[in-house]
Formats: sequence, structure tokens, C-alpha cells
Amino acid sequence: MPFGRILVAIDGSECSDHAFAKALELAKLADAHVTALAVEGPLPAYAATVGEVDEVKREKDMFFRSLAAEALRRGDEAGVAIDVDVRPGHAAEVISRVAEEGGYDLVVLGHRGHFVRDRLLGSTADRVAEHAPCPVMIVR
Amino acid sequence: MSEIAVAALLVGTILVASMVSVEIGLSVALIELLLGVVVANAFDLGVPTWLAFLGSFAGIVLTFQAGAEVDVPQFKREWRASLSIGLVSFFAPFAVVGLVCYYALGWDHRQAEIGGLALSTTSLAVVYAVLVETGLNRELVGKRLMSATFVTDIATVAGLTVLFVKPTPWAIPFVVASVALIVGLPRGAPWFFGRYGNRVIEPEIKLVFASLFLLMWLGERANSQAALPAFILGLVMSSHYTRHRTEQERMRVVSFAFLTPFFFLKGGMSVDAAALWASLGTLGVLFVAKMVPKFGGVYPLARRYTAPHATFTTLLMSTGLTFGTITSLYGLNAGIIDRTQFSLLIAVVVLSAIVPTAIAQHFFEPRVGTGSTRRGDQSVAAMAPAPEGEGVRG
Repeated sequence: MPFGRILVAIDGSECSDHAFAKALELAKLADAHVTALAVEGPLPAYAATVGEVDEVKREKDMFFRSLAAEALRRGDEAGVAIDVDVRPGHAAEVISRVAEEGGYDLVVLGHRGHFVRDRLLGSTADRVAEHAPCPVMIVR
Repeated sequence: MSEIAVAALLVGTILVASMVSVEIGLSVALIELLLGVVVANAFDLGVPTWLAFLGSFAGIVLTFQAGAEVDVPQFKREWRASLSIGLVSFFAPFAVVGLVCYYALGWDHRQAEIGGLALSTTSLAVVYAVLVETGLNRELVGKRLMSATFVTDIATVAGLTVLFVKPTPWAIPFVVASVALIVGLPRGAPWFFGRYGNRVIEPEIKLVFASLFLLMWLGERANSQAALPAFILGLVMSSHYTRHRTEQERMRVVSFAFLTPFFFLKGGMSVDAAALWASLGTLGVLFVAKMVPKFGGVYPLARRYTAPHATFTTLLMSTGLTFGTITSLYGLNAGIIDRTQFSLLIAVVVLSAIVPTAIAQHFFEPRVGTGSTRRGDQSVAAMAPAPEGEGVRG
């Protein structure tokens, strides 16, 4: 089976939505297992108050819980075996590492993330394409 | 430029700072501080009277919140190990920076004391953010680090209140009101908040603000500073806020939306960029004067109490931001230091927030938990849907 295990990166953006839909389509055709990986970006660097850190953390947790639940729902609806993994860190680094450690056959991700910081050091998609140990599908 | 035009410009700057903060993942306070420097120097603006007033109050609110955010039960468990690290983290740079300012830079003794205080701080928030990201806030090393930071902070606010006091008869009502509020507010809060709280008109926030204004007024009349009682007031209210998170969140909303931006903007606007540029050598001297004693003092104790993360602990104890800014602004407002000295201190404070944190995160960050993730896997396959609400992305 060419693509038995598919890793798809999700972040709630429009591009990642398209990528997720493509991953589900592909998984259905290949009867593959999908892992939806959401990477929680870093907390505000050099914060001035504990409150700022706490509130951002709380909002992130709430957002990613909702994102994970939505991914599970869409996977179930599509009849695809799916699990969701939420990890902290820098997106490109985490996606490449999980792809390698999990022995995935394919990584699917959108071509653009939400924020300027996602593009500051080159796009996440470019960096994953460069560092992932398996084929990478970048979805527009 | 008219006063309302300045206000429009500054509120616009605050809005831009929030947007930039979200886009690039930097603390909004740091961006407000930096944009304050840019706006003031680009438009040749001074600090308007209303901004000076709001900024001063915001500084006291920040101090109160810093106290309210201390985990008191955790500190009670870890205080023995944390006390030595925290005290050395305060006194070593305070003494060295003070001596360098006095003897090497020719500042007078009050200016040297402001310099020593501003650069002896450790940033609770910077430390906390790194600990939460690494998951170390749940480990013994993280708990000790937070408690030690608290000790350094309270030493700073105590120094700020005590060192510059020139007692007048008003010191008596200042002390009496401080003690009455510190003893009375936590006891009266449940009744007051139960009867008047949970309303959109926010009587509970007004009660805290009224208490802080009273302390500021009496502190000013007593030729002192309200930092210490405000911090302790926050501290004694922390257990109340732990039980009533919504109240704390509302307080944060008011504070982040309207008060702290003006505080950091004021700090940035008071920086003289040209004078700073002309004194880069002095800036380097002050930075080294903060870092070397922090390392020399904290590292040996960290090896004993937070091994094997001694270097990581020492680097984080070398950070500073909020209390360094509060102290420097106090010195400037009280006429103790001039704008050049203030600019130097703020620049070192900002550098000390960034440089040791970046080094700690890139070279010495401990990996916690199993697997590849720093916070441990957070498999959410079985998670329930989150409550409705807008979250942040990424």
C-alpha cells in the first residue's frame, strides 16, 4: 500500500482546511490511517505579565481542543480512521519530527499558515518539504 | 500636535502593537515599549500629563497583579530552597550595578541605587512563559525557580519603597492604611464581591482601583512609593483570585486593554534614542554589570538546588522586564535619574529580557516528559469539544 499512514497538519486556516479535505479523500481511496497534527505555536516571548501568558495559553488550549474535535468529527463523517495529536513547538520542526518518528508515508499540509511569524523564516510548507523523510503534498 | 491628536496617535500605536504581537508572537508589552521609542522620537513627542498619570497608576496595577499572580501555597512549600537563590539574585546585581554606577559611571548615590534596583530584578512573567512552554512549571525545578523569582521581586519592591523614603508625618497614615487594606481586603472581599460583584459595572475592580489610588496618594504624601503595599495587597488577594478566576480575568481585561499599554508606551516614549546611541559603551558596561553578578551569585546555588538545570536556572534568573521598567520610571518621574540614565536602564532591562531567555531556550532548555514533545504528548482523540468562543490560532 503506497500511503498506509498519512500525517496532515491542521491549524484552522483556510489552506489547512483544504489540505485536510485532500488528506481525507486520499485516505479513503488508499484505505489509509490519518493523523491530524496541530502544532501549538509558542507563547508570547518575553512577556511582561503572568496574566498575558496565562490568557494566551488558555485561549490556545480552547482553540486547539475545538480544532481537534472538529477534525475527529470530519474524519468520522468521511469514514476514515483518524486520530489527532496536538503538540507545542515550531510547526515545521514538529511536523518533520513527527513524520519521521511515526514512520508516516505522506505528509499533507496547506501552503500558507495564519500569521506573519509562520513566514518569517520561510514558509512552514517549504521547510517541511525540505526536511520531511517522506513525500510531502502541499495543498493550495 | 493637539492633545487629542496625540491620544489618537498613541491609541493607534497600541492597536498596532497588539496586532504585531499576535502576528509575530512577541509579548505585546515589549512591542509597546519599542513602538513608544519609535513614535516619540519620530514625532518629537514628549510624555503628555495624562499619559504620565495613567502610566503611573498602571505601574501600581501591574505591581498589584504581580503579587496576585504569586502561587502562595507553592512558595510556602519551596521557600527554603528559593530564599537563598532569590535573595542572592537580588543583592548581587544590586550591589555590583550600584557600585559600577557610582564609581565607574559617576552617578550620585540615589541614581546608583535606582540603577542597582532596576537591574537586580528577575522577570516572573518571562520565567513563567518559558517554564510553561517546557512543562517545567510542573517539576520541582520550575516551582523553585518561580518561588525564587518571587523573592527577588519582593526584594525589589521593598527596596523601591524603603530606599527613597524621606519620612513625613504622612508616613503614619500611609502605613496604617497599608496595613488596614492588607489585613482587611482579603477578609472583606468575599462579602463585598458576593453582594456587589458579578456585574457589568464591575464594583470589585473599582474597589481594588480605589484601594490602589488611596495607597498612591498616601505614599506620595509620605514621600514614599506604593509599590510594596500594592504588591503585598496583591499577594494576600491571590488566594481569593485563585478561587474566583473570572474576577482575575476581568481585572486582566481592563488592565491589558486600557492601563498596561499606556505604562509601556510611556516607558518607551521617555527613552532618548540619540542619547542611547551615544552611550553604547555604557550600555555594555551596565549589561555586564547585571549579568556577571547574577551568574556569579546564582549559579553556585542553582547547582545545589536545581541541578541538573543550573545554567538554565541562572539564565532565567538573569531576565528582567516589568519591575525594571517600573523602577526606572519611578526614578525618572521622581527626578532622581535623567533621561539618558533612564534610557540606558530601559535598554539594559529589555536586553536582559531577551538575551538570557534566548540563550536558555536555544542551548540549555531541558526536555521534559517522554517522546519527542517538550510538554509531553497531548493526544486529544478523546477530548470533548471546547466551549464556544474565539480562540487564538497557532
